[in-house]
Amino acid sequence: MTLDVLRYEGEHRLKSALGISVAFTLLAMLFVATAPLVTTNVAASAQFKQIMTELPQPFIEAFGLQSMTSLEGLLAGEFYTLMWAVFFGIYLAYSAAGSVRGDIDEDRMDVLLANPISRTTILVETFLSLLVPVLVASVITPAAIYVGTLFIEPSIAVEELIMVHVLSIPYLLCCGAIGLVLSVLLNDKDTAQNAAIGVLFALYLLQSFIPVTDYGWLANIAPMSYFDANAILLEGTYDFTSAGILLAATLVLMAVSQFRFTRMDIQ
Amino acid sequence: MVAIEVNGLTKDYGNVRAIESLSFAVEDGEVFGFLGPNGAGKSTTIRTLMGFQLPTDGGATVLGHDITDRSAMIEAKRQVGYIPAEMGFDEGVTGERFLRYQASLKGDTRSEELLELFDPPMDREIGEYSTGNKRKLAVVLAFMHDPDLVIMDEPTSGLDPLMQERFYEFIRDEQAKGTTFFFSSHILSEVQKICDRVGVIRNGHLVDLEDVETLLERGGKRVSVHVAEPAEPSAFAIEGAHDVSVTGDEQSAQPTAADGSGNTQSADGGEDTSSGRDGTSVSFTYTGDYNALLEHLIGYDVLDLDIEDAPLEDVFMRFYGEVDPDREPSTVGRQADV
Repeated sequence: MTLDVLRYEGEHRLKSALGISVAFTLLAMLFVATAPLVTTNVAASAQFKQIMTELPQPFIEAFGLQSMTSLEGLLAGEFYTLMWAVFFGIYLAYSAAGSVRGDIDEDRMDVLLANPISRTTILVETFLSLLVPVLVASVITPAAIYVGTLFIEPSIAVEELIMVHVLSIPYLLCCGAIGLVLSVLLNDKDTAQNAAIGVLFALYLLQSFIPVTDYGWLANIAPMSYFDANAILLEGTYDFTSAGILLAATLVLMAVSQFRFTRMDIQ
Repeated sequence: MVAIEVNGLTKDYGNVRAIESLSFAVEDGEVFGFLGPNGAGKSTTIRTLMGFQLPTDGGATVLGHDITDRSAMIEAKRQVGYIPAEMGFDEGVTGERFLRYQASLKGDTRSEELLELFDPPMDREIGEYSTGNKRKLAVVLAFMHDPDLVIMDEPTSGLDPLMQERFYEFIRDEQAKGTTFFFSSHILSEVQKICDRVGVIRNGHLVDLEDVETLLERGGKRVSVHVAEPAEPSAFAIEGAHDVSVTGDEQSAQPTAADGSGNTQSADGGEDTSSGRDGTSVSFTYTGDYNALLEHLIGYDVLDLDIEDAPLEDVFMRFYGEVDPDREPSTVGRQADV
């Protein structure tokens, strides 16, 4: 395996990877810059304390209110849980959903398949090219956050900052794998991409709101349940079992995609 | 040894039967034309032979490899070049970058030489290419690994006439070096120019399989001639003329345009119907001797003359008649190895 497809597709993703990284950096900077204000003025105010005692506990947890008292809490509760996990996850699922199906729809798959290369190789390497935006953004964003905190009062624990990114990689790959399955199951690029957005968002809602109901166990199917930025950044606990579950789910989804892709007619 | 052997190949798309029980063989070193009107099943056959889709029934081998065996087909493709009908090249990269990508996948022994013959603008992005330039790039990509067999789906569409001639010449040179060609076309004259043998496909059935000389006799030209004097269809009942039709002002002596003949000039209004541009349009399909045709025409005051290849569908109608898609073909060509 000489990884030619991966290198080519990865090169294609480099530009958007840099764009994504810049977007996340700017967003993160917004949190870092406003952190001193939020953590000292707002969270320490009498009104906020009153709200915290009056609101029911599940409500406080759902909105991550208890985490507003520190920079780590702000980043974990808002930036990493919402921006990074949900939006980056959706972006990767969307990209993956457009990959194989897009190549088929636009006749690029014919040109590729005319070469002595197996469909499995094409599928796996196309999927792995998602690592380019994942890795680039996972290096640039924490680096920028770290540099940003040098200019403000509260500092940030570097190890936990790195670990939140490391442990988000299996989660992000799993989101991409959901998109990949849709890419080979659905017959149209737009449909696959829209479905990817819908599925990811539905899973996020499921994970957010179903735990307080009697069907709480259903939240276990959402990949978001296996990536807890609060636990990493606030408590410094690293859940490698959950990361393993996400990687296993990724492999299962890839196997399903491979089964389908190697048997389907390219029309 | 046969380069391609097709045995009872059938492909359904849901309820639609695209090709049915195709059987033929392409011998090593020959140029085999796969001729048929649009929608006849040419691309379906080619896509099945390339392993992009699995046959519903029957089978085929390409360079001895079973088309339903994926790993065998990977081996086959090391020696197969392919020019697709729709050239799905990445629009966002330069021709140079895409060529390097393809080279990494299948090898490159002769792209330099090919780029001298067909010279697409390699440093421009493919998205800016004209269809002709994409075709040139497709040719380079199909031959760069020096394949033994080249499968082409309507390879000359979009090439200008000069480049088409260069391409035909190139195919002859490659054939002389032992390369086998299988290509589809809906243009009779193209097939006549370069093919040794031709399979004719219509409505998913192979209706005929013959050498190119036989087809040459059957092809014919569409002759449209505009003459100054009135003419009866019977006046053009010369040998080799079929389906003679006469339109225009057959009574040109009458100055009125109300003859209802559908003459375009009189319908224009304001045209002087008694001018020298008036006359008779005669059109027919001609399969006879050209000298005889010219000698016949010399007796007329010819205002305009157009001779072109007869549309394939006309030729098919004349020689093969209507083909009922639900019926097994009754003609020859069930098995090609002769």
